[in-house]
This record gives sequence, structure tokens and C-alpha cells, in this order.
Amino acid sequence: MNNNPLRKAFLFLVVAGAVGYGLGLGLDFLVAGNLNFSGSVASAFTLLFSFTAFFYGLYGYRGITRGLVWQVEGTLIGAFLITGIRAAMGATPIFGAFFFSEPAWVFGALSGVLSFIFGVGIMDDWIKWARGIDTPKYHEDEPGWEKYFSVSLDHKVIGIQYTVTALFLIAIGGTFALIFRTELAASQLQFLTTTFRLFNQTGPQLYNTLMSLHGILMIISILLGVSGIINYAVPFLVGAHDMAFPRMNAFAYWVAVPASVLMLMSLVLGGFDTGWTGYPPLSSRAPVGMQMFFLGVFTAGWSSILGALNVIATVLRMRAKGMTAMRLPIFVWAGIATSIIALTATQLIGLSFQLVMFQRLFGMGFFDATKGGNPVLFQHLFWFYSHPAVYVFVLPGLGIISELLPVFVRKPLFGYRWIAMSSLGIALVGFVVWAHHMFTSGMNEYLRVPFMYSTMLVAVPTGVKFFSWVATLWGGKIELPTPMLFVLGAIFIFLLGGITGPPNAMVAVDLHLHDTYWVVGHFHDTIFGGFVYPFFAAIYFWFPKATGRRMSELWGKVHFWLMTPSFLVLTFGMMFIGLRGMRRRIADYDVALGFDTTHLILTIAGYLIALSVLIFFINFFYSIKNGEKAEGNVWNSRSPEWLVPSPMHPHNYPVPFEVVGEPYDYGLPGSKYVEFAAVKGKKH
Amino acid sequence: MRHFVVVGILIILVSVLLYIGLDAAELLPVAASAQATPIDWMWNIQVIAMCILFAIIAVPMFYSLVVFRRRKGETGDGMHFEGNTSLEIAWSSIPLVIVVVFAYLGAVNLSDTLRRDPSATIIKVTGIQWSWKFEYPADPETGVVVISDELHLPVGKQVLLRMTSSDVIHSFWVPEFRVKQDLVPGRFTELTITPTLEGNYKVSCAELCGTSHYFMVKPVVISSQEEFEVWLAEQLIIAIDLGKTPEGQGQLLVSQNGCAACHSINGAVGIGPTWFGLFGSDVELTDGSTVIADEAFITESIRNPEAKIVAGFETQKMVQYTFTDEEIAAIVAYIKTLK
Amino acid sequence: MTHTHEKSSMLSQGVLIFIYLTVLTGLEFFVAITFNSVPLLVVMALVKAALVLYYYMHIYQLNAEHEGDHDSYEYKAGTNRIGLWLFLVSDSFVFGGLMVMRLNLLGMTRPHLNQNLGLFVTAVLLISSFFMNRGETQLRNGNRKGFLQNTMITIILGLFFLLGVVIVEWHTIAPIAEAILHLFGEPAGVEPLKPSSGVAGAAFFMMTGMHAFHVLTGLIFLAIVWVNGKRGLYDEKQYPVEAAAVYWHFVDVVWIFFYPALYLIGTAIG
Repeated sequence: MNNNPLRKAFLFLVVAGAVGYGLGLGLDFLVAGNLNFSGSVASAFTLLFSFTAFFYGLYGYRGITRGLVWQVEGTLIGAFLITGIRAAMGATPIFGAFFFSEPAWVFGALSGVLSFIFGVGIMDDWIKWARGIDTPKYHEDEPGWEKYFSVSLDHKVIGIQYTVTALFLIAIGGTFALIFRTELAASQLQFLTTTFRLFNQTGPQLYNTLMSLHGILMIISILLGVSGIINYAVPFLVGAHDMAFPRMNAFAYWVAVPASVLMLMSLVLGGFDTGWTGYPPLSSRAPVGMQMFFLGVFTAGWSSILGALNVIATVLRMRAKGMTAMRLPIFVWAGIATSIIALTATQLIGLSFQLVMFQRLFGMGFFDATKGGNPVLFQHLFWFYSHPAVYVFVLPGLGIISELLPVFVRKPLFGYRWIAMSSLGIALVGFVVWAHHMFTSGMNEYLRVPFMYSTMLVAVPTGVKFFSWVATLWGGKIELPTPMLFVLGAIFIFLLGGITGPPNAMVAVDLHLHDTYWVVGHFHDTIFGGFVYPFFAAIYFWFPKATGRRMSELWGKVHFWLMTPSFLVLTFGMMFIGLRGMRRRIADYDVALGFDTTHLILTIAGYLIALSVLIFFINFFYSIKNGEKAEGNVWNSRSPEWLVPSPMHPHNYPVPFEVVGEPYDYGLPGSKYVEFAAVKGKKH
Repeated sequence: MRHFVVVGILIILVSVLLYIGLDAAELLPVAASAQATPIDWMWNIQVIAMCILFAIIAVPMFYSLVVFRRRKGETGDGMHFEGNTSLEIAWSSIPLVIVVVFAYLGAVNLSDTLRRDPSATIIKVTGIQWSWKFEYPADPETGVVVISDELHLPVGKQVLLRMTSSDVIHSFWVPEFRVKQDLVPGRFTELTITPTLEGNYKVSCAELCGTSHYFMVKPVVISSQEEFEVWLAEQLIIAIDLGKTPEGQGQLLVSQNGCAACHSINGAVGIGPTWFGLFGSDVELTDGSTVIADEAFITESIRNPEAKIVAGFETQKMVQYTFTDEEIAAIVAYIKTLK
Repeated sequence: MTHTHEKSSMLSQGVLIFIYLTVLTGLEFFVAITFNSVPLLVVMALVKAALVLYYYMHIYQLNAEHEGDHDSYEYKAGTNRIGLWLFLVSDSFVFGGLMVMRLNLLGMTRPHLNQNLGLFVTAVLLISSFFMNRGETQLRNGNRKGFLQNTMITIILGLFFLLGVVIVEWHTIAPIAEAILHLFGEPAGVEPLKPSSGVAGAAFFMMTGMHAFHVLTGLIFLAIVWVNGKRGLYDEKQYPVEAAAVYWHFVDVVWIFFYPALYLIGTAIG
């Protein structure tokens, strides 16, 4: 991309940010009567204006810019509407701590999300259909980088949009972590003190907000990253020209953008102090930021659900000729298993959040003990999604490991059928283990032991994967380019996550481990091993397919060798202090515990991880235009997408292929996986 | 074949070395309860399992990376084998049996920690944002109940904690005792603890409960039966003494209900306004007006915290207490004394 | 009996299934009022749901078009059909979660509601499904006018149901609500249920609210399909009509479970 739009974008960002700040400050002064320099209104305006102006400078008033502008307009209109209605009904107070009352903010935010969706343009075709007007089958995208900022129906563009948005949220969530890790580096509150004020929160409140946002932003980035790889790869892996429902695919991506805006807005609307788990009664009395969190996650859930629907329909209906179930690429099996979970269980987190939102807005006593409600019910509904959700996080990554190993060891994937079934097995068993998050919750006593049994059961299909991977490596001809490094790192780190699971499953041991940094270490292992490393592997792997260039091997290796030891130090350090009494989610800890040194090391490790990710970002963006050209079968893979030139044709395979053999028969002389249809005068 | 032997030996070596290292590392805090014994036993089994599982996967993996690496100039592919059904069945069914056995052991283990002594003392625990309230059994002679924000217990005797919360979900945890249990508003949960080691510990809240969750930590003192009785008797005398005057009653109520988590009595600025010099002073509110902190103001602020908020404290919500009128009057009387 | 494709027998089959549904609903009401057997009520709800799923929603058609030219209308409609059913599976989890909430919070109690009104709105919704099925069948057999008439009746009945719940059951417009409740034999002076009336109010309003939201979106879908159908858009390419009908019947199936859950099972409190 040439520098002028980018420079213009940053200029607009700064100018609009300043204007927004002044406007917000002025408005706040008019209403509250004092100049609140670090207050919410000024900050909110600054963020919204600068963010929107950035895209306007980059790209003009269309696509994402228009979406964001409409979101702001929609939010204001909705909020004022409710304010007016409440004033007419005689409700008091008409305004709230953050200018609008909470009902106005909630309705405004919802209206903002819907306005964004209309503004960005994803509804255009559907509106035409409702009016009985037909639309063309394909929408050709504009060439160049602009298409990534508007509605595109091409799954490859959407996959990249998802991936880049995920990276963006990782950067923000990671930055928040660096902030609170800096505070945690030594005992006693250093800068997030009780007298510190920012965004209408004291230091400890801000700690809780940053920690909570770190959690949810990372989780959403994982969901988007997972959708990114699945959307990008599944259609061309099965030989389709696109997903079954391209418009819904685009919708599922675009709805995640206003959802992210809402979650970020919670920071400036008083924050929220519950962690991403949002347990009532604490969440029913948190500030307005809590509602922005709830609504943001609720909306992001639509992305997950609709994306999953699309994947299942695509794999069922759009496969190439000859692609039977047992000849599907293994990553597609992972995508199916993931989508089964995402399609169904996600509704439950939406429901659980919706119930708290309504409890706050209308006094409905679902989880309010004084009204006969049951706080533990929330936990059941919440974890019924949130446990299977972790399999949504890791099944695609484990699928990436299985998909990439054969390419770099030059031999078949060991036990393909069993690996395929193990993904389904993990998905299914994953539905019946949720209450292992609730062993100390006060739920019915008799539930604890059955859930211990079911939780231990997940180890069986997971073990099948590990053993199969080892057997795949065994006797191979192993090469170690960057994608393979990340695959191996994934296996190793996921192994750590896997073996630190069973102690948590043992109820009595969990009584000690629950809510400590042991658990934090365990899930960072499973998430880095099951998602983060495979995500990087997938990006390094398919980057040439998307751009026709390679990312730098040298800097890829620097990324890996800087991130991995740092991460291992981080996770072992966390588990160590967790066992010895370091609780989760605390802004400060007693110096007498003797954890200061370890915490300092953890913070340094965090910064090193951040540095390695920064190196990755630079490598990624730089290589798009300047990477070494790589237009052919860079990895010598048997998979069909590598048998056509890079970058990929918009409709994937102008000449269709038929499946004539097994996908992973590396080393079998004369074997082929696919055969392209004969075209007169051309040979493939 | 040679590969398998080497790998086998390495797996055993790595497992053993790892276990020795982890065992020596003193991963857990000192065990100070009877319930800790079965838990630490099971933890040890888990550590052994982790070492073996780690070795079984990591050793062949790293071995392969070394031995089956493509050397410079080598062409050709890896060994061509697609699977082995017997192996698949073996490594599915053996782990299946193992996990079921583990779960069974876990169930037995759990029941070991739940053994109840029918003569256990019952102590009522209430979690409040952000303090602990421990109610000891009533004194048989005077009927007075000692309520403290510290948990004192005699060593070697089982206690049954009957716990609830007056606001949000909290969780009771002393790392040296191992066991943990949430405190849920609207219901009672129970925790059985038998302290076995005298010493000074801390109970920390183990369920995120708001701004000062990190600070919801109070002392737990395990002493001999005699020392415990002495302490209890002292507390009883204090309670009776203070109970004679409204100011004293107020002071008791304040110490029992965790007001100090937000309000200091020495002028220090905290989450809430300080009480030092509060009574009779001018207070600026968030709407810009100024009021005098008299009985009416303080009473209203306790009964209905949202009614008038002091400027600078608008970010924090005060807990809704359910004190009686007398109790509030006593607290006001106590606050009056803080000059 | 198996499904049939022939027009007149499809129409009479629709009538027959409706009669079964009516009888079962009446039986439910009777069982609830007399000996309140929960297992029996659950079984009857399951049977009603199965009837609607099979005969009205023709779930057996799900993978019918699994071969053929991927670019043909039939194949693409088949893909859309799978997409719609996947969506309904997902949506079922919301209603399933609401059921879990109701069972956990209310157990064997239920909110105090007017039984006659409950039976009436249930009947209205069931009848609307009957006419929807009729309309869809008419169109399948080339009768655009019949399709439009029956679909319009469906829309009107659906609107009736929506207003019945939102105005009367929810007591939003007190004079109308009281008048109609009086008509249905509700004694005067009974305190109406509010969302903040403890767990019974919370569960009732959330369940009927989510259901009503789906009724509303169903009506919008039907209205769009009616207007476009009038213009002849669906004479050949009929899938959108099938989709609107299936969605409408889904809303009915949800009510088949919500009706006993809120009105029939357990003892009334408050």
C-alpha cells in the first residue's frame, strides 16, 4: 500500500482525536460543571473520533468508515430515544453517571451495532432480496488493499479480515496485560493506587477492568482467529469456490467489529470488575461498562454461531467430486467439530449474559437471592458454553498441527481416521464437563464426582492426538522451517497444558488449585499450545498462498526463539506461585508471600513475548509487499491449494479437481491426492 | 528396534529425574490441616503422572527431531506407514482404564476430606465486601456471641464453618489448609477443617468480589486449646465491655462488618471517606452542594448509600447493609468519637 | 403414516394432523387441571412436537437433494434448507437454556396465569400453523391465490397471538388486559405478574418475551414472503416460502413446550 493513505489516516487520527477530546471535555463541562481531563466522556469521544477518522483518512467514507459513523449515530439516536421515553414516563434520574442512563446506553449500544451493520453495507443484498430484487451471484472486489476494509464476499478476503482483526485485538489485550503485569512486578500498589483516577475508576478498579478486558479481548481474538483460518482454508481445502453462504460469511465477520467497539467502550464507561466470567451478584451491581461487555460478547457470539453454520453447510454440500468423508483434509474435520460446538453452545453464554442484563435493567430476579433467584444457576448456564468454548479455541489449532505435520515430515498422518474421530470425541465429551469449573461453587454435592469422571474422560481422545503426532514424527524426514517450528512448539506447549489438567479434575486437589495462578498457567499453556502457536504456524504457512510472497524465515525464527523460552518461563512461574498461594485476579499481593522475584520475572517474560509478537507484526506487514516472491508450491504440499499459482484466484479453482487418492500419502510413489480436470492443451 | 530401546530408557530416565526435581522443589505450602493429607497425597500421584506423561510424549518427539531430521543433501521422504489399529486400540483403551481408576481414586480422596466429626464446633462465617466475619459459639454463661474479623482455632479439633455472603460471591481459602469453598448469598455452604499445625496463617478471598478483592485477607491463628480459650475469653470481655455503651457497640459493629476496608479512622484516604473528624464537618457532594455530616446524614448514608455521594467517591458503590435502627445509632455514636 | 406429495391428500393430511394436535392440546389441558401428571404432559408435548416436525416442517426432506448439479436451483435450495435447520438447531439451545432456567428457579411451581387465556392463545398459534401448512401446500401445487389467502390468515392469527401475549398476559395496557381477562373468567383484583415479581415473574416474562420476539420476526418474514408472493416471485422458485413456513412452525414447536412449562406443570404460586 502506498504511503499517502496511511499518512493521511494517521494525520486524521491525531486531528480528530484532538477535536473529539475537546468536544468531549466541553460537553462534560456543560453537563457536570467541571473539567474532567481524565474522565470518560472526553476519552470516549477521543477514541471514537480518532478511530473513525483513521479509516476515513485511509479510505474515505465507505465500508468500515461508514459503518463506524453509523454506529456512532445509531448509538446517540438510540440513547436519546430511550432518554426521551424515560423522561416522558417520569422515570428518574433521566441521565446517569456517564451522561446517559444505563437503559439508554444499552439500547443505544444495540442500536449502534445494528446501525453499523447497515452502514457497512452487508445488508444491501438481503434488503434487495426482501424487496424481490435479484442480485448477481458474484461481487467482484476492487483490486488492492481497499477490499479488506469493505464488504467482500470472497472467503479468502474475509479470512484475512478476521485474522488481521484478531491480531489487532491481541495487540490491545496484550497491551492491557503489560500494563497490569507492570503493576504486579512488585508487591504493593505502585501506580494503580486507590488515589489514582482514570476513566472514572480508581487504580484497583482499573486493574480489574484491564484484567477483565485482557481476558475477553483475547478470547474474542481467539474466536476471530479461529474463524479466520477456518474461513480462509476450508473452502479451498474441500475444492469449493467459496463458502455455502458468502453473504452470511461477510455478516459474521462484520458483526464482530461493532462488538469489539462495545467491549472497548466498557473501559471508558466505568469499567467492570468481574473478570470475563461476569458472575452475578457482582455483575449485577457493576458500572455501566458491565453492560457494554455483556452486549459486546452477545453480539460477537452471533459471529461465532453464523460462521459455524456456514462451515457445516459448506462441508456437507460443497465438496469436490470424490471427496468422501475419509478423504477430507484433517483440518476440515477439526473445523466440523469446532463448528458443532460453536453453533450450539454459544447460545448459552448469550442467554446467561442476557439474563443478567435484564436483571439489571428490569429487576428480574434470576440470580438475586433476595428475590428467590439462584446465583449458581448463572454459573451452570455460563460454563455450559464456556467449557466447550475452550475446545472451539483449540480444536482448529490441533487440526492445524495434524494438517501441517505430514508436509514437513514427508510421511502420512498416523491414524487419520482416529484423529478425525478424536476431534468429534473431544467436542462431544466437552459438552458434559462444564461443572468442573464449579467444584467450589456450592452447587449440589452429588454433581462433583460425575463431573470429575467426565472431565478425566477428555484425556482419552486428546491422548489419541498426541500419540498420533509422535507416531507421525517417528521415522520422518523432518524439516524445520518456521511453520514447523510453531507446530512443534504447539505440541510441546499443549502437552504442558494437557498434563496440568488432571490435577484440576481431581476435586479435592482442585479445592487448593481453584482460583490460583496454577490455573492461569494451565490455561495459558493450553491456549498458546492449542491456538496461538498453531495460529502463527497457519499464518506463516498460508501467507505465500494469500500474497504470493514469503515472510522472512530469519525473523520468523527470531519470533519463535524469543517467544518460546519467555513463554515457558511465564507459565512455569505462574504455576509455581499459584501452588504456593498466589490467587488469581488480584491487583496486589502480600510481600510476605515471597513472590516478588517471580512476579518480576513474569513481567519481564511478558514484555519479551510482546516483543516477539511485535517482530511478527513487522514481518507480516512488511512481507506483504517486500517478501521473497513465492508463487508456486513453496512447501511441496499435496494439498490442492498448492497445486495452483499464488495468490489464489478469486474463485479458487477455475479448473475443478477430483479426489483420486489419500490426502497424506507422502512417500508413496506415484500416488496423487487430487487430479485437475483435463483442459485442452494444458497439463497440470 | 534400537530406537525403541533408547527411547524407552530415556523415557524412564526423564520421568524419574523430573519427579526427583519436582519433589525436591517444595511446590506446596506447609500442610496445616488434616484435610491437607489426602490432598497432598493425591497431588503427589498427579505429579508422578505428569512426569511420566510428559516423558512419554516429549522424549520420542525430541528424539525424532534429532534422529529423523533431514540431513543436508538428503532427498526422499519419510517411512511410509499410515497407522496401526492395534496400537490405536491400545493407546485408547489403556488411558481409558487409567483415567477411570484415577477418577475413582479422586472420589475416595474427596470423601476423605469431607469426613465429619459430629462434635465439631460450628463457626458461622459471613463474607462481606471486603472483610470476614467470624461468629463463635455463644458463651454458655452470658449468652454473648463473640464476633471477630479474625479466625482463631485450637489445634487438633475439627471445626465446621457454616458460611454465607451478605453481598456477592466470596470464597474461603487458607492455602496451608488446602480446602476452599465459595460463600454464596442466599444460602449456606459448609467447610470442614481440622487444623493440625499451630501458627499464624491468612484467610484470603478466592473469588473475585470487586475492587478490594486483593485486600480481603484476614489473620487465622491456630494455637493450643489453652491459648485459644484465653483469646476467646479476652474477646468476650471486650464484647461485654464495649456492649455497655452505644459508642462501644458501634465500635464492635464497625470492626465486625468490615467498614475499615473502605473507611479509615485515622484520616487516611481510602475507597470511602475517612471517619476521622467526619462528624459535624462540612461535606461536599457530587452534585456540588455542601451538607453537614450530622446524625441524619450519616444515618442516611448507611441506610441508603446511593442517596448522597461525597465528591471524589462517585466511582465506588457502598455495600447495602441491613442494620437495625439501634445498630445504626450506635455506629453514629462511635463515629462521633473519632476526632 | 408416511408423508405424501399429492396435493389433495397433502391438504387432508394437514387437516388430520391438525385434528391430532387439537385433541392432544385438549388432553393436556384436561390432564393438567385434573391429576397434573408431569411425565404425561412431557410425553404429549413430545408427540405434538414430533407431529409438527415431521408433517408440517417436513424434516425428512432435509438431505433430499444431496446429489446433482451444484449450480441447479434444487441443489442450492437444498443447501439453504440445511442452513435453515442448522439455524433452528442453534436457536433451540436458547429455548433449551430458558427451560433449564425455569426448571431450576421454579421447579414444580409455576406462575399464576389464567388457564383459559393460555389455552386460547395456544389454540390460536396451532391454528395458524395449520393455515401455514395449507398455504405452503397450495403454492407447491401452483395455487398462488390459495397460498396468499392462507398465509394472510396465518399472519392475522400470529398477530392475534402476539397481541394476546404482549398486551393481555403482560398486562401492558391495563384496561384492555383487564377486560379480556375478565372475559376469560379471571377474578377481579388479582395482582398481575410483573418482570420484577420474583423468579416466577422473571421466568415468565423472559420465556414469553423471547418467544414473542421470534413470533414477531416470523411475522415479518411471512409479510415479506406474502408481498413478494403476490408479485409472482415464488411461483417457480418456492424455497423462501418453505423457509418462512418452517420458521413459523418452529415458533409453534417452541410454544408446544413453553405452554405446559408455564401454564400446566406444577402448582401455581402467587
